[in-house]
Amino acid sequence: MPDRPSDSPPVAPAPPGYGESAGRDGVHRPHWTPLFDSLRDLGPPELVRRWREAKQLIRENGVTYNVYGDPHGTARPWQLDPIPLLIPTAEAATLERGLVQRGRLLEAVLADLYGPQRLLKDGLVPPELVFPNPGFLRPVHGMRVPAGRYLHLYAANLGRGSDGRWRVLGDRTQAPSGAGYALENRIVMTRTLPEAFRDCKVQRLAPFFQALRDTLRSLAPRNKDNPRVVLLTPGPYNETYFEHAYLARYLGYTLVEGGDLTVRDNRVYLKVLGGLQPVEVIFRRLDDDFCDPLELRPDSFLGVPGLVHAVRSGNVAVANALGTGLLETPALAAFLPALCRALLGEELALGSARTWWCGDPGSLRDVLDRLPDLVIKPTFPASRLEPAFPAELSAGQLAALVERINHRPRDYVAQERLDLSSSPVLEGDRLVSRKLVVRAYLAAQVGGGFAVMPGGLTRVSASADTTVVSMQRGGGSKDTWVLAEAEVGDFSLLPAPGGRVTLTRSGGDLPSRVADNLFWLGRYAERAEGLTRLLRGIVVRLTERPGLADCPELPALLKALADQADPKWPRPIAAGAAADPFARVFPAVYDRADPNSLVSVVASLRLVASVVRDLISLDMWRVVNTLSDFPVPADPADDDGPTPADLLDLLNRTVITLAAFGGLAAESMTRGDVWRFLDMGRKLERSLHTIGLLKATLVRPPAQEGPLLDAILEVADSAMTYRRRYRGSLRAEAVLDLVVEDETNPRSLAAQLAALADDVDHLPRPAGSAGRAPEQRFALAALGSVRLAEPDRLAAVEGETRPALAELLDHVGGWLPILSDAITQQYLSHLQTSRHLATFETPRSTGADAGGRL
Amino acid sequence: MTPSQSQSQSQTFAVPATRYRIVHVTTYEYTEPVSLCQNVAHLAARPCTHQSNSSPVLSISPEPAVIEERVDYFGNPVHYFTIQEPHRQLTVRVDHVIGVAPRPSPGPTSTPAWEAVRDRLTTDRGAAWLDAAQFAFDSRYVAAHPRYADFARPSFPPGRPVLAAALDLVHRVHAGFAFDPQATTLATPVLEVFEKRRGVCQDFAHLLLACLRSLGLAARYVSGYLCTVPPPGTPRLVGADATHAWVSLFCGDAGWVDLDPTNDQIPADRHVLLAWGRDYDDVSPLKGVILGGGQHRVKVSVDVTPTADESPA
Repeated sequence: MPDRPSDSPPVAPAPPGYGESAGRDGVHRPHWTPLFDSLRDLGPPELVRRWREAKQLIRENGVTYNVYGDPHGTARPWQLDPIPLLIPTAEAATLERGLVQRGRLLEAVLADLYGPQRLLKDGLVPPELVFPNPGFLRPVHGMRVPAGRYLHLYAANLGRGSDGRWRVLGDRTQAPSGAGYALENRIVMTRTLPEAFRDCKVQRLAPFFQALRDTLRSLAPRNKDNPRVVLLTPGPYNETYFEHAYLARYLGYTLVEGGDLTVRDNRVYLKVLGGLQPVEVIFRRLDDDFCDPLELRPDSFLGVPGLVHAVRSGNVAVANALGTGLLETPALAAFLPALCRALLGEELALGSARTWWCGDPGSLRDVLDRLPDLVIKPTFPASRLEPAFPAELSAGQLAALVERINHRPRDYVAQERLDLSSSPVLEGDRLVSRKLVVRAYLAAQVGGGFAVMPGGLTRVSASADTTVVSMQRGGGSKDTWVLAEAEVGDFSLLPAPGGRVTLTRSGGDLPSRVADNLFWLGRYAERAEGLTRLLRGIVVRLTERPGLADCPELPALLKALADQADPKWPRPIAAGAAADPFARVFPAVYDRADPNSLVSVVASLRLVASVVRDLISLDMWRVVNTLSDFPVPADPADDDGPTPADLLDLLNRTVITLAAFGGLAAESMTRGDVWRFLDMGRKLERSLHTIGLLKATLVRPPAQEGPLLDAILEVADSAMTYRRRYRGSLRAEAVLDLVVEDETNPRSLAAQLAALADDVDHLPRPAGSAGRAPEQRFALAALGSVRLAEPDRLAAVEGETRPALAELLDHVGGWLPILSDAITQQYLSHLQTSRHLATFETPRSTGADAGGRL
Repeated sequence: MTPSQSQSQSQTFAVPATRYRIVHVTTYEYTEPVSLCQNVAHLAARPCTHQSNSSPVLSISPEPAVIEERVDYFGNPVHYFTIQEPHRQLTVRVDHVIGVAPRPSPGPTSTPAWEAVRDRLTTDRGAAWLDAAQFAFDSRYVAAHPRYADFARPSFPPGRPVLAAALDLVHRVHAGFAFDPQATTLATPVLEVFEKRRGVCQDFAHLLLACLRSLGLAARYVSGYLCTVPPPGTPRLVGADATHAWVSLFCGDAGWVDLDPTNDQIPADRHVLLAWGRDYDDVSPLKGVILGGGQHRVKVSVDVTPTADESPA
């Protein structure tokens, strides 16, 4: 640690097992010297300060990891430790040779099992690991894969035993996660500890991702120069969705869900606003058995019907190849040494932790004899059973486990429990020791072989006494620094490598589902803003002038708030509640069960934003993340709950944050389809909000209208302009002119409708389509009626109401849902989902042979 | 209408074959248009030694944009087709002539002891045994369970020849379970069939598979047709037939023997074989995924008629 001499142990006391940074004698290993020197130069307070900033960066970037079954919502901020794991050059080279051999071996095993299956006949792989394996996909048996490659991205979990040797704890052959987190960790680390990064001569990650990108491009069956590669995700509820969006953006791929793709004429297409665009390569993060509900798992809603046949036809490539999940059985490790000799004629260089498959009678006896030293895993990960640690079980649990194993031994695999190595971790302002596992990544290389990522995702145990390392169990992560002997050149993926690109300004290939999400992103952002402004208008009055009597405009504002609620979730404005008006405001802010409360709208905003993360700017995403820090008291009405001043402060901050979001949308997005759908959502929502506000307030004006007009100008964010034009004179016709008619006021209803009409005019349409499309006509109808209205007539009171205003608001308010439907119909309608013909055929025999027994 | 040709597997038999003309029509009607429909059909008969299959004439309306034939993992012919134009009705008609020769089946008591077959399935890597082994494991619709083993065990005392034991089990299933088309649907799990003691041919086939596999034996699901002969004096009703399902049991060196639990018999020349797999899911005659469609209604008609013709009309 920085405040110690560099030759003393940085961590004490040394835990059992191999120490990454220091040996048993407490003397730290030489390759850690530059890092410790650099940290010492930095000094503990500076390290702690920088790390606080880094954590802020991680939170603002929205780096999350979804934990299944987490009662506190699913997204958990990514945990990163500032002390990297260091791997010296020579050791990395040895690991690389072993990993590459292992990758070659696994591909040879796949080629055989999805081909001639000689390994079964020769007794090198037990049929029990293949035939009942849910990962053995019979529909893809015999299919050719491009260049004979199955594993385009392969990962191995490595643990170091007390003898200092690395062993493989598990292979990830299907759709390995974590490479994107490794990349994000690296970006945070180079910003936080640039001096240490430079001093340690750390190898760069970018060439690895370049190799992956080259390989994926090479898979394209056609259009090889500029193929469309998509990253197929199961969706935002997946545990590593953040990473899918992150990698898609980094690699320059379109992030898609199964519903965005369709198969026609044995080819895969992406559904975009303009129609269908061919897809050449699918980089999948979806498990292969979910990829096609027609030929694979029929209960999958995440896949693409007909995908398997399109792959079979050679019209699209999928990476990793369909069927590669077959090798994720931990039992395979027991057979790899013999397989390596048989298939490659080599000894296995990088062994696994010792593994027994209980289906072998001899192995079963061994396992039952030494249970406490082992971890028991299900043979097929798809069974979703958790690993069992016999040493930690009660006698009863142990007996039950033995009974389960004996009932069907082939369903169980045992693996020796390694005493994993430890490395220092920053906790508060001191270093403590944690167990670790490293996930190493390999990318297939064009022309053969693999590129190994010089780095990886290091995961550490959650506490000192935990030896289980798992993100699902709350552990953290580290950057992994593979050290170079020589200076490291700069190489970044961000500028386009080699080759020329065709200049384009359109990109008119926005997936329809994404357009739909952008539309709703705009609507939720604006809904949140409108609601916040209205709430602020109310709360300001309540704090300044407690008691309704002092505030003639308050009932109308509360009515507007009540009208804004979901009809299924009414907000009562009963006069009896007047005793405590705050009691009415709190649910509109905090009630999670109310879909239109501010906290619910903000939650929806964040969810929709997370789905289009790869399309909005990082700053916009940060703004959304700032919003979701929304504090929700257990019981707002409680004495310890927020005071009116707290609430006002919250609303003020929220208005500013939302304004920042709007500003970024207006200033930093190109006027393409992404912006246009976002903008249409905002303009539509703001129109509805203004109409609702005016209907609740000015259609039936109170006797003393001045304070209400003032409040409306404030909620409609037009007070400044009004004062400049009219000074203090509050007149309904002037307010209506500014808030409804004046197209130079960016907050007016007319301005929203004019912008909507313009947006709609610019939507993609088939070439040569004549006349106006329905959505264009509806937008013009709404805009025209506002333009033709006269402020004086709108303000005219007959009896107790303003009939002209009521009619206009009803008229325009009626067109808007029709317009919204027309846009959906025209651009978003092919979003309907596929389903099975459930009882396509029932083989109902007429049963007992009518002719009697034969 | 698009006829699709499949390879003809004409064969000559020592014993004269009974020849059947089979017309199998499936019609779907939708309340809303279907814009895209992708299908996999197991409607052509697989080649096998005791059948001579004409080329099936497959007619699909509306005309498929894509129709391709291949052989699946289990060796069954399978058609993949897609309809990419909006439609409110889909008709799939297959018409073929299949000759079925009676098969010699081994004497039940001459087959090996059932435990010998069970044990050798886990060790023998010869082609026939390895091929059989894949039908000994759980599949989507059929999973082993101790209750099935308990049910089957009275038929399987130690040392009993495997076919004799299986025929006893088939007899008990037939006697103990009621044929009842109302009792189950495609989605009914085997365990429920087992508890209710009712079902149809597919349920009984799955149940028998579950029992045999729970004992460690290898057995496959067979999809096909049954020629129903009307009671004497009544005319044969066109369309009265249906698809049928039964089981084939691996009897070691005695080979595979078919068992029909619905009719308590070893199929002879009135069972027409289409395809086999681990269970219904591998060989369902027609399955598909649609986009749109609203509510749908399905009609199936099957005619199995003895004929002198060589090929479909």
